[in-house]
Amino acid sequence: MGKKAVGLLKEMDYTNLRYYVGGMADWLENSGPVKKLDEPVSTRQPVRHAPLAVARHFSALEILANRPLERLIGFWVGMIVVFGLIYWLAGISMGWGLQAGNAAVKPDLDGLGTAIYFSFVTALSIGYGDVTPMGALRILAVIEGIAGLLVFGCVISKLVSRRQEELTEEIHQTTFEDRLDRVRTNLHLVFTDLGSVQQLQVEQGVLTTLVLQRLESTVRVFRGELQAVHDLLYRAHIAPDEEAVESLLANLVICLQGLVEISGSLPNGKSPALNAGLCSVANLATDICGECVPRVYAPELKESMDQIQELARRIG
Amino acid sequence: MAKPQTLELAHEYSMISRDEILARLEDRALAIVDVMPKETFADGHIPGSINLPVAEVEARARETLSNFAQEIGVYCAGPT
Repeated sequence: MGKKAVGLLKEMDYTNLRYYVGGMADWLENSGPVKKLDEPVSTRQPVRHAPLAVARHFSALEILANRPLERLIGFWVGMIVVFGLIYWLAGISMGWGLQAGNAAVKPDLDGLGTAIYFSFVTALSIGYGDVTPMGALRILAVIEGIAGLLVFGCVISKLVSRRQEELTEEIHQTTFEDRLDRVRTNLHLVFTDLGSVQQLQVEQGVLTTLVLQRLESTVRVFRGELQAVHDLLYRAHIAPDEEAVESLLANLVICLQGLVEISGSLPNGKSPALNAGLCSVANLATDICGECVPRVYAPELKESMDQIQELARRIG
Repeated sequence: MAKPQTLELAHEYSMISRDEILARLEDRALAIVDVMPKETFADGHIPGSINLPVAEVEARARETLSNFAQEIGVYCAGPT
């Protein structure tokens, strides 16, 4: 597919073309950065134009929120301890610091504990009031309160979104598998239909309108399924397991064989609708097994794919 | 259905490596073009790349890539 595109562009007089052979598979394998569109694009709806790389400006908070959860929690605890140390040091060096009850907190180890305790109480916005800041420390305490809330909010949102991501992933997986199953069933239907069309044709000897109509509708269904297979295979991120792909391709081979047989026995004057249907089936089949199938699929599948391509050529 | 002849001509293009793309992600002189279907593109693509599905190359290339002399890096799902 990539080669085809380069070829087409070349024909259109683009002069400075370069081809990245590895493509998305290679890119992901070496963990290159990946951008996703926020809204998943449904295949059945008309697709909006993808926004071209919009420059995003991250605020400091967004950068913070993008850190992994462990780092965030670490940062939060670290920040609280550092603030505690500052309260304690301010008490030693400047003479005004924290006050517990009516007495100033002493600059000893016990006092350090109290300072860190005060820091936690402030950052969590609990504010018992058993230890109170004095003088300029009050400003610092307010700043810590704000910062603590913001960072804590990031931690919470991270926890929530993590679960949400898991759920979305699960939903994606299930719908994907459902779709796979449906495609398989429908392919089987197509195959059965092709069989009965063939039988009708044999029984009646001549090509009646009825047979032709049935064949047309079958081809249409087949086309739809091919489109579905096409979409499934080109989803770079949810790779169906090989068994599923294998059975899909095997089904495709059978259906295409049936179609080749029938279309071979048809008289030359096929209806235009049928012709168009067959043509697009052939195109899709070629595309499915074209040059651009993700590398994850095993070489054994290549055989089925080659078979499909060969059959598609004969239909076309 | 026989493949169009254009495929045979396509062998005379130059290649671009992964490292070069990675190094030039911000470089506006290089347009990175993703020729996979739109759904695949939405699922994940190289940051900054432009989606131009193969099927639409002939129809939409001119509006998407207006400069014929621009350096264009093309990629799809993988080799083979």
